[in-house]
Amino acid sequence: MTKLVVHNLNKRFGGLHVLKDVNFEIEGPELIGLIGPNGAGKTTLTNILDGAIKPNSGTVYLNDRRIDQLEPYEVARAGLGRTFQVTRSFRRMTVHENLLVPALALDHGLDRTEINDKAMEVLEFLTLDHLRNEYAQSLSGGQQKLLELGRLLMLDADIIILDEPFAGVHPTLMKIIYDYIGRVNDAGTAIILISHQMDSIFSLCKRLLVLDYGNLIADGTPDTVKNDPAVIEAYLGVDDDETDVTTGDQAAP
Amino acid sequence: MKRQHIPALAGLLIVAFFMAFPFLYGANDYRYIMSLLIAGFYYAILASSWSMLAGYAGQFSFGHMGFMGVGAYTAALFSHYFYLSPVPTELCTEFLIGNQYLVIVDAIGVTSSTLNQDCLRQALTIWDGSVQVTPMPVWLGIVLGTVMGGLFGLLIGLLVLPLRAAYLALFTLGFSEILRATISGEIAITRGQAGIEMPYLFEQGITLFGRYYDKTDKIPPYFVMFFLLLTCLAILYYLASSKFGLFVRALREDQDAAAALGVNTTRYKIMVFVITSMMAALAGAVMGYYVNIISPNNLMILQMSLVVAMAVIGGIENIFAAAIGAIIIQFVLEILRNSFEIGPFTVDMTIWRLVIFGVLLMLTLRFARNGLIIPIIDYFSRGHVAAETVAKRTAGIDKAEGRS
Repeated sequence: MTKLVVHNLNKRFGGLHVLKDVNFEIEGPELIGLIGPNGAGKTTLTNILDGAIKPNSGTVYLNDRRIDQLEPYEVARAGLGRTFQVTRSFRRMTVHENLLVPALALDHGLDRTEINDKAMEVLEFLTLDHLRNEYAQSLSGGQQKLLELGRLLMLDADIIILDEPFAGVHPTLMKIIYDYIGRVNDAGTAIILISHQMDSIFSLCKRLLVLDYGNLIADGTPDTVKNDPAVIEAYLGVDDDETDVTTGDQAAP
Repeated sequence: MKRQHIPALAGLLIVAFFMAFPFLYGANDYRYIMSLLIAGFYYAILASSWSMLAGYAGQFSFGHMGFMGVGAYTAALFSHYFYLSPVPTELCTEFLIGNQYLVIVDAIGVTSSTLNQDCLRQALTIWDGSVQVTPMPVWLGIVLGTVMGGLFGLLIGLLVLPLRAAYLALFTLGFSEILRATISGEIAITRGQAGIEMPYLFEQGITLFGRYYDKTDKIPPYFVMFFLLLTCLAILYYLASSKFGLFVRALREDQDAAAALGVNTTRYKIMVFVITSMMAALAGAVMGYYVNIISPNNLMILQMSLVVAMAVIGGIENIFAAAIGAIIIQFVLEILRNSFEIGPFTVDMTIWRLVIFGVLLMLTLRFARNGLIIPIIDYFSRGHVAAETVAKRTAGIDKAEGRS
């Protein structure tokens, strides 16, 4: 069973203390929302988990293996995958080639035919199968987001971090992404979902982590978090009982 | 025959043409045209290997001619300073290896053939023809040059790991210029701007299919360079079609995303530098033996610009397009040498040809960023993709709407 243990994680950039003693654990195929205002440290945390940057102190263990000092490709091979806030498809490679990269890099022991079959299955699921030989740069922004998600399916990771998967996405594609999250999670993969779309986060996740100025200020069910005064203050700067965190709207008097 | 097979067929025809050309062409300018083709193949190796480095892997290096120079100078210094002798000279540095002495000639620079004699020439004068020394085999010089190119590729690959885009270009340009300045300055060893002589590719001549070819004959070096080009293209094509090619292209597109998907980007970045540097060094060593001399001018930025222009005009993201581009440009540049008159004005093409060439490069970059050959290859090899996309989409809609 997947187990991610983040212990006393600290990160400083010059005078900025971006992450302060962050601790949490993920066990099994949890679906967790990671939220927080801009500048809270969500992307820094993601980059540390992914190996792109190293923490100043603290440790990260994935399935009892320490991963905080590994290179990103080693972290991916250890079983952690991610998408990026701004879509980063391989634009001058075909849709199919985009999917081959993680499959061949990880070498799960599949032969080319099995990899191609799996890629076709992923493309059909993401409704991109008719575009398999097109260059990724020909795809729309939403389709490129789907392609990025497809690459993660080929990675077969134990845990994936989805950074803003709903940003700028049409409702039709949103439905596909919802299905994707459900399918991946049902298959036993833990998911950390980062999004500013609170309605999606609250409807999908059973557990939320809230970061604010580098502090993990809340870790609990959506209901607990929604009513947590520290969370309300972090989001709105006021302690207002009449504020709905799920939408950020002021309730009508 | 499917349209996708046409580029491969055209490739085979081109190979057949070049195989037959030396035996079919019989005009007075035979040696001149053969020289142009040998140089064309040499530039094709450089342009295609550079297209793997810059076009596929996105490592926009200006150090390729530097690696070529490493190969050529390693071979030249090896052939120039190392000999085998059955008896010790007692003047040079020498080591007994088996029953022969490895003689290392002392470096005395450009005066060696006039004022002073090096230790080996002095010994030969003393021996007065009673002892024969053996020069080092040319093939060993080529192998050493290639290996040294690979080592320099490894070193530069390691040094440029954190560098991207313009910083990488500037760094590699610096490497190439430092190398050239060092070679120019170390006159005692390299003979500086005078260049260092190298033996012929086949010093004793060679017999092929029952016919003897003199050391100055064009056919042996023609086929050596042509088969080297084919071998390099075969290796590059294999790499481009394998996961190596897939990963270096991912590296070009987005290094961080590739790493996040499990690609060891460091390893592939170094590998692409080592492999392409070895090819440049190999081409340099063979070309040096063919023209009998290598000088720092061969490493000039103008030469690097020429290779870049050949690859860009052919098509930087396809090794075959870059190679074809190199051979065509080599001929175009020669054709443009012919001066002509417009009314009372004489157009001196020895000067204007580079201007015209520059304009061609600018027009290509502006209007055909994929080069002039790649669109043709794509027309045949990828022409079916758009129709396939539409057909599959329509089939998908039909399926969704329950039509058969």
